[in-house]
Amino acid sequence: GKLMAELKSPDTRRCRYFFLYDGSKVRGEGDPTRDGICYFYPEETPMDKQDLLCGQLAGVGRCVSELSSSAVRILRLRHCKFAIRMKDDFFWALGCSMDVPTVSVCELLDHLIDLFCFYNGSVRQSYQLNSKETLAAEWARYLSHVLSGPSELHYILQSVRTLDLTNVDPLLLLKAALILQACQRCPLVLAGCVLFRGRVVSTQMPPQLTIKVMVHESETYAKTQRSSGTSTPTSDGGPVSSTAVFLTPSELQYLQSAPVDKISRCSHSAPEKDAPPKKTRLSRTLSDIPSSESTPSRPASCQSLQRASFSPHTSSSEDSVFSPAPSQGSSADSPNPSPLSPIRRFSYGGNAHQAEGGTPDSLHSGGGGVSQMPSERDGSVFEESLHLNRGAASEMTDCGNAAFRDEKTAAGEGGVCCRKPRGHKAEMRQPPSGSCSFDSLEESPLVSMALYVHRVNSLVLALLVEPCFMGDSASMEEVNHSSLASLNGLEAHLRAISPAAPGAAGPYLFAHYDSVQSTLTTNVSGRPGGASEYLFVRATSLLHSHFFDTETLQEAIIRSAGTAVYGARSVAQETYFQQHGGSMRNSGIPNQQDSAFSLPSKARHRLLKHGVNLL
Amino acid sequence: MKCLLIASESAEVLFHWSDREYRQNIQEKYGVSQEEGEGLPAFEDILSTLFAPIIISCSTLEDSYTSFTTENNHIYVLHQFDECLYIAVNGDGEEKEDDLRRKLYVLKKMVEVMFGMVTLSGNLLRKELRPQDTEQRARLWNYLQSLLETYSLLRENDQSFLVEAVERLIHPQLCELCIEFLERRLVQQLNSSVERAGEEVLHAFVLVHTKLLAFYSSRNASILSPSDLLALIVMAQNMYPSNVDLDDMSPEVSNEKAGRGETPVFEFVDPEIQMAEDSLHTLEINPPDPASPRRVFLEVSHKDGLYPMMPHSMYCLSLWPGITLVLLTKISSSALAISVYKYLEDFDKLEKRLHEGHGAPASARSPLNMQDIRSKMDKFIKSLEPHDLQYAQLQNVWAEFKSRAFSRAGSGFNKDLIPWCKNMKTQLCGIYRQCFLTGSLSADVTHRLSAGLQERAQAMVREKLVDWKDFLLVKSKRNITMVSYPFLFLNDFPGLVHFICVDRATGQMIAPSLNITERTTSELGKGPVANYIKNKVWALVRTTRRYLQKGYSTVTLRDGDFYFCYFLWFENETGYKLQSVDIPVLADDSPPIGMLAYDYYKLLRYYSKNHKGENVKCYELLTVHLGVIPTEIILQHCRQLASKLWEPSRNPLL
Repeated sequence: GKLMAELKSPDTRRCRYFFLYDGSKVRGEGDPTRDGICYFYPEETPMDKQDLLCGQLAGVGRCVSELSSSAVRILRLRHCKFAIRMKDDFFWALGCSMDVPTVSVCELLDHLIDLFCFYNGSVRQSYQLNSKETLAAEWARYLSHVLSGPSELHYILQSVRTLDLTNVDPLLLLKAALILQACQRCPLVLAGCVLFRGRVVSTQMPPQLTIKVMVHESETYAKTQRSSGTSTPTSDGGPVSSTAVFLTPSELQYLQSAPVDKISRCSHSAPEKDAPPKKTRLSRTLSDIPSSESTPSRPASCQSLQRASFSPHTSSSEDSVFSPAPSQGSSADSPNPSPLSPIRRFSYGGNAHQAEGGTPDSLHSGGGGVSQMPSERDGSVFEESLHLNRGAASEMTDCGNAAFRDEKTAAGEGGVCCRKPRGHKAEMRQPPSGSCSFDSLEESPLVSMALYVHRVNSLVLALLVEPCFMGDSASMEEVNHSSLASLNGLEAHLRAISPAAPGAAGPYLFAHYDSVQSTLTTNVSGRPGGASEYLFVRATSLLHSHFFDTETLQEAIIRSAGTAVYGARSVAQETYFQQHGGSMRNSGIPNQQDSAFSLPSKARHRLLKHGVNLL
Repeated sequence: MKCLLIASESAEVLFHWSDREYRQNIQEKYGVSQEEGEGLPAFEDILSTLFAPIIISCSTLEDSYTSFTTENNHIYVLHQFDECLYIAVNGDGEEKEDDLRRKLYVLKKMVEVMFGMVTLSGNLLRKELRPQDTEQRARLWNYLQSLLETYSLLRENDQSFLVEAVERLIHPQLCELCIEFLERRLVQQLNSSVERAGEEVLHAFVLVHTKLLAFYSSRNASILSPSDLLALIVMAQNMYPSNVDLDDMSPEVSNEKAGRGETPVFEFVDPEIQMAEDSLHTLEINPPDPASPRRVFLEVSHKDGLYPMMPHSMYCLSLWPGITLVLLTKISSSALAISVYKYLEDFDKLEKRLHEGHGAPASARSPLNMQDIRSKMDKFIKSLEPHDLQYAQLQNVWAEFKSRAFSRAGSGFNKDLIPWCKNMKTQLCGIYRQCFLTGSLSADVTHRLSAGLQERAQAMVREKLVDWKDFLLVKSKRNITMVSYPFLFLNDFPGLVHFICVDRATGQMIAPSLNITERTTSELGKGPVANYIKNKVWALVRTTRRYLQKGYSTVTLRDGDFYFCYFLWFENETGYKLQSVDIPVLADDSPPIGMLAYDYYKLLRYYSKNHKGENVKCYELLTVHLGVIPTEIILQHCRQLASKLWEPSRNPLL
């Protein structure tokens, strides 16, 4: 209740402002600035101040962009730094405190915009079809999600929250992976992930996509928690829901390039495809598993004995993940959040208004979800879209037609490649090195898909599916049939795992970031008041920026009078380590006996038990 | 693609510098928005038009802008110094945000050295920086532009300007000999000559390129601060550029650079291109009288306190190309500057008190005794030469101030007096300007060392050093090299590639020479390899400053094939290593860490004042090792270097 709200409210110390300003609304001399303000956080900011900030920043941004023939990316004031995104007439600004690394502020802003596009599609069209107020609620929702990290470290190192792997039987993880593979046998399923209490158990998606999917999941979880109070097992297979989502071409390409065997896909033989690389230390081979569909025979008591001595973020973070967003618009209260703008892009960037003609139909309504043909559109636009947009194309065809489907998937990979030479606008415009990557927005046409969610109490199976999947009862049946029993079993086992005791903080602090899977392992609690935690996070922030800027940097030790922090980086990971106590007092003169210089070996030794191998 | 400008709050450009690329870029930008057929207006007017939205927005927001970065990595750094907004731009990736900020602060320092307390009055400074007379303006801007270019060249190529500490030539016998000569012969003779016209030589030093061969200060001179000394070296270099690297740059190297798409480093200093580019530069500028000194304003410490921006004359006498004798003299009327400074301080304090609503300075014991100030000020005004406009203005304003502050009819000491405090400050700055700046130096032949006396000084030092001349020029390029001390470096420190050691109390540094040019092959190998190391060292200094700014005084880095270390520590005078202290965590836009524009290390010494009364020393050590050397060995090397290099008895280099 109250505690949750506290944790969930975006930390004002770190995030000061977020706004979206639409310059196209303020063209004439007399147009008031506030007409251009689409969303402003904090919402209670006096209107004058909103006007001032939006007007000045957007004005200066435009001036600098013209001088340099390039959009402004970072704008700093003395006490606040802004990541800026300028696109067409839109101007986004996310202002954070000076402590947050610049690269992280840029990533946060990009992530926010990505989230919006994932659930709403093109920004321009969303604003053409929906009211400012409705979309403001959307921004508020994504913002609160982005800012809800359990500790400051989550601002610096954007990560997917996973189950504490040291606490889970690897068999269960394997089981989750097998459920996903089973679902993928249905040709309309692109990829999926299994989540438990807002944490990833297994995923087939790239981390950035998993994070996006989790936003929806954590909200629906919060809702069910609120409505049912306690978790009551439902016998009817759990609520199934879906929502429209939009993938970028690069995301789609990634999912399509996964090595799924198209022929064996439909057969029910043992899965031949490996799950995407997982960090699990699987000692068993697949053949050890009797059947992917069967309920695991091992009782809950056989969970891994090696339990972490403490599990730092269970207590605080779980609450914050599942607690409701503070400022929810009315849209989120419907049992199935209506897709606000299920718009497919039928054209490339410039001709956004082509879709104005017919308001696209809502693709999904209610749990059953029906896909409707956007029949009223005129043919010429469609012709084009057929070539360009695989997602749209698939809607036109009879979903049940397996033959077509096969043909199409066979051409799938080529189709994406073909797109590049056709129109340069469709290509990803890579930002110059050094700036943060950013690959969505209207630059490339977004592809409409659906997110299918099957909930069993705290366990969720989320699948990215072709939009027609929801109307295809055979496929639904197949997926449901192949996963339901396993999901129930998995849920029972996971629920039986008691959360690891919070445990006292050890004699050291560490953070380990897997940059391939975007996972963060740390014993930083995020509880306020920890002076040494504060120092550790500050050092981590500096070192992370340094690693980002300097490709060749592998290791660093930095020391002030009171603390020393060690940082190490490889292609796949970043690790930070700080030892408590042992009085750091010294003269600062080089001395090989100095405890600061033994940090690398201590880190190697200590972190082994957290599954971090620095060798 | 570099640019720097100073603008007033109304977007008037008070000074600008830019390289050719940036000028072209801006002219194209402007040309596009203009009608065909019209000639382009003056470059400063174009800049003013294009930058106006930024400049005006700066005064609109309460929290001011400090920087912008665009997606193509153009960087803009902004800083407001009093009423002037300084903006630096880089569009070629050669400078980072902190380099640009440093450049702004260095320019500010140069402006202070050139204009002294006039910088305290926004109004007067504006007039001074942008003279109405276009020829005068061209001359001034040209001079400031070349100072900036000289500074940039030094910062990019000279280790002492990288770390902002003076480098001495390592040759103890010769140095001693030379100092003795400056003391016993040169300064004594100059100061006893009648031709010195009331001036008194306070400091004399000999520079070989940028390195200090000998430095002598007369007994009644105060210490010349490292910041001022570095600024003077920039000025001396600007007057007699070494062009060391230009001479050494072989055609292959320059071609290679160009081939990689980089701007040849020296292109932008080519005076001919520079002149042709800017219409301003094509104006015929009268060469200044070579015997006329340059007025410089330097910090002076007296028994009763520190006085910034006290007027001096600087005589820069070239002995041979690359070797320069610099004389700094105290001018006859310099006592007046001290008075002006004291009164400025008093009125400033009063203004602050009034702002805070403190009314009349209470008792005679209060630090601000207005009755005392009143009588002193009356005397001061009487002592001034009573026959010019500036004098009359000061007298009028003072009379008005008195009637408002002290008479019964007046309003007394309240907020209404604030404008009159400001006015008094402006008038005092005006008097200062009158006395030390506008009395055109070149015209005033009577108040300077006579041309003959200067020639004699030049000849004396030349005669003394003539046999050493060639040696000195070579030595300055290869001051310390690792191969010249094989026992020290190759045997005792295997794997050590480079180091820099800085004594921040004296502002001096020791480092092996980094010769990156083709002709002078160092042990680091030929051009490219040495150049690679050079870039690493430059980046390391930037990195460690960033950590120091955030409170970290020890940094070790494993980067590629190298291992870098940085240490900062304190000692007392007897060499006892003091316990480390919490170093202040500074904001990103705080003054750059260094000694040229702003002495950061003074602040550090203040923070180490658990040791009251003791003279605390501050040292820095940077090392570059091969990455294959075990860390323990590297730390051992660092320890040995740290303890050896600053103890004359143990330093094998001395």
